[in-house]
Amino acid sequence: MSHRFASFTRASVLAMAALLAGPAFAQQEPCIGNSGPLTGAAAFGGAAVKYGAEIAIDEINEKGGVLGKKLRLIQYDDAGAPPRGVDNTRRVAMSDKCIAILGGYHSTVGLAQVDLVNEIGIPYIGTIAANTKIIENEKSPNYMFRVSAKDKWVAHFLVEQAVKASKNGKIAFIYENTGWGNGAFPDIKAAMKAKGKELVAAETFNWNDQDMSAQVIRIRDAGADTLLIWGLDREGNQIVRSLDKVAFKPTMIAAWGLAGNLGELAGPLANGVRVMQTFSWLGEMDAKTKVIWEKIQKKHGLKDPTELKMGSGTANAYDAVYILAKAIEKAGAYDWKKVREALYQVEHTGLVANYKPAFDKADPERQDAILPEYYRLTAWHDGKLLPIAQTPYGKSQ
Amino acid sequence: MQTALQYIFSGLAIGGIYALVALGFHIMWSTAKAVNFAHGDALMLGAVLAIMGIDVGLPIALAALLAVAASCLFGVILERYAVRPFAKTPTSIGWMLTTIAVGIMLEALVTMQFGGFSRPLPSPGVDKALNILGAGVYPQELLIPAVAVAVMLGFVWMQRSTLIGRAMQAVAFDRNAAALMGIDVNRMFAISFGLASALGGAAGILVAPVTQASAQMGLILGLKGFAVAIIGGVTSAPGVVIAGLAFGIIEKFVEGYISTAAREIIGFSIAILVLLIYPQGLFGKREVFKV
Repeated sequence: MSHRFASFTRASVLAMAALLAGPAFAQQEPCIGNSGPLTGAAAFGGAAVKYGAEIAIDEINEKGGVLGKKLRLIQYDDAGAPPRGVDNTRRVAMSDKCIAILGGYHSTVGLAQVDLVNEIGIPYIGTIAANTKIIENEKSPNYMFRVSAKDKWVAHFLVEQAVKASKNGKIAFIYENTGWGNGAFPDIKAAMKAKGKELVAAETFNWNDQDMSAQVIRIRDAGADTLLIWGLDREGNQIVRSLDKVAFKPTMIAAWGLAGNLGELAGPLANGVRVMQTFSWLGEMDAKTKVIWEKIQKKHGLKDPTELKMGSGTANAYDAVYILAKAIEKAGAYDWKKVREALYQVEHTGLVANYKPAFDKADPERQDAILPEYYRLTAWHDGKLLPIAQTPYGKSQ
Repeated sequence: MQTALQYIFSGLAIGGIYALVALGFHIMWSTAKAVNFAHGDALMLGAVLAIMGIDVGLPIALAALLAVAASCLFGVILERYAVRPFAKTPTSIGWMLTTIAVGIMLEALVTMQFGGFSRPLPSPGVDKALNILGAGVYPQELLIPAVAVAVMLGFVWMQRSTLIGRAMQAVAFDRNAAALMGIDVNRMFAISFGLASALGGAAGILVAPVTQASAQMGLILGLKGFAVAIIGGVTSAPGVVIAGLAFGIIEKFVEGYISTAAREIIGFSIAILVLLIYPQGLFGKREVFKV
């Protein structure tokens, strides 16, 4: 009896110890999750992240992985739907126990992930979705990081370019009537105010609109010579065509929604449209970019860098994986909390930027790694979106 | 003046698209007393298949022809398996759900095959805008309302002067009586859906140079086209074309003189108002249901 009791007690104590020690011992797995649109209209956005993340992971694994373990990427489809993004986050954290999750294409999904990510405490690194509040969410401790553009900074960047380009100082703004566009409007207004200016016209449009003549006539009649655009390729095409119809050609400066296939849709009418990006694979590549492009090309059977839609996302994801790998190395363990702390200490020379350091713990704005000084202006020319210096429009800048 | 003219031209182009979609609804309704609710997807199918045909190296005319033929086939199959089993009596509405479901499936399939991006369909009609009294318009945009009117006239002629057209009307009037007179009712249903979808596919090819082709292009066009068909009176071909063109022009003027955001609010308010005053649409005949 006493023997049996003793063994029972011993078992209970062991079980209790295991339970208590559980969280402390909880080691995360050497995998990186990602929730993004793999199907649906924005499937190219999911592919862009995959290309960049996979190549970085391959390179790291060739050198032996991180802390002696090989990394792998686990991608789940959210099809752009916020509830699926939330569900995927839970799967990555709880079931796969990945060390971190990369953010996807849609800002609406990113915003929906904020609460859960901080509740679980798994580091999240955004790679495309640029909504300001995804990162500046007033949570503490904040597990949301980003290696991509931030709308607030993009607005300032675009306004700065517009002020430089405008001859008569009259700048107008046209934006899509969505969460993304409406979120940017106050940012653009604030950026204009910071320059001591006001928009002479602000117009909206809806997805799938086939004609923008009403809006562009008002913009023309307001006397604007420079037009800021916050929209996607399909509607961007209708904007340049409507401008053509009313014979009005302002300087156009756009957020990166026009970095897809505007050149194919609008043909020569796209020429001269400037687009902000964090990276460009087109035009002359430097040696480092070339090596990475060739790896992507080989792995996914792409012919030409123009097939890399939303290529900024590819470069962002590539850098994000390296920053994460360095943080795991610094943390010395596959542990969410330690990795989050280590992210603030990582310094890295990446494809997009020189991260010194990647993130700054003292400044909530600096959970974003890519500073506006690394934003670049590209321009459509003969169907290609090139760095502006490599186009005829570069000289006027 | 110049601005108003611009709105009229742009409005005619968009209204012409609505009219073409609405004509498809009219053709189906005026025979089968049922419609393909996802008729906008017939336009999408025509445009997308034409581009895919060009992708594999077919000459543009052949690609367009095959795309129209495929759209026609789609209409016939849809009628046979998604409408006919669910439209046994004039009051049954199962086909509403089944046609919408097929439309959603088709959009998902096309997204997988065609990709998520909008793509252009090359046409000389959008190379250069014409300048008419200071207003700009693409030749293709002028062609759309012209084709809508031509198709309407052609279909009215067919209904009045051909055996098949009269048979379709007879089926619509009383399918049992028509069957007793020796008309193959099911065949008339198939013909009306095939014709409507072929017309839809052709309309898709016609409008794609202006709107661009994508898996999602049919959704809004189908919805607006349906609204227009109801406003105009779905039993009247001239009615739906007039309503379509007028709706397009009104939309442009609302965008121009009020605001872009007000467009849908005012447009659909007009639709509801018209239905309150004219329950069978502006030009429609009164429908009598015997229950």
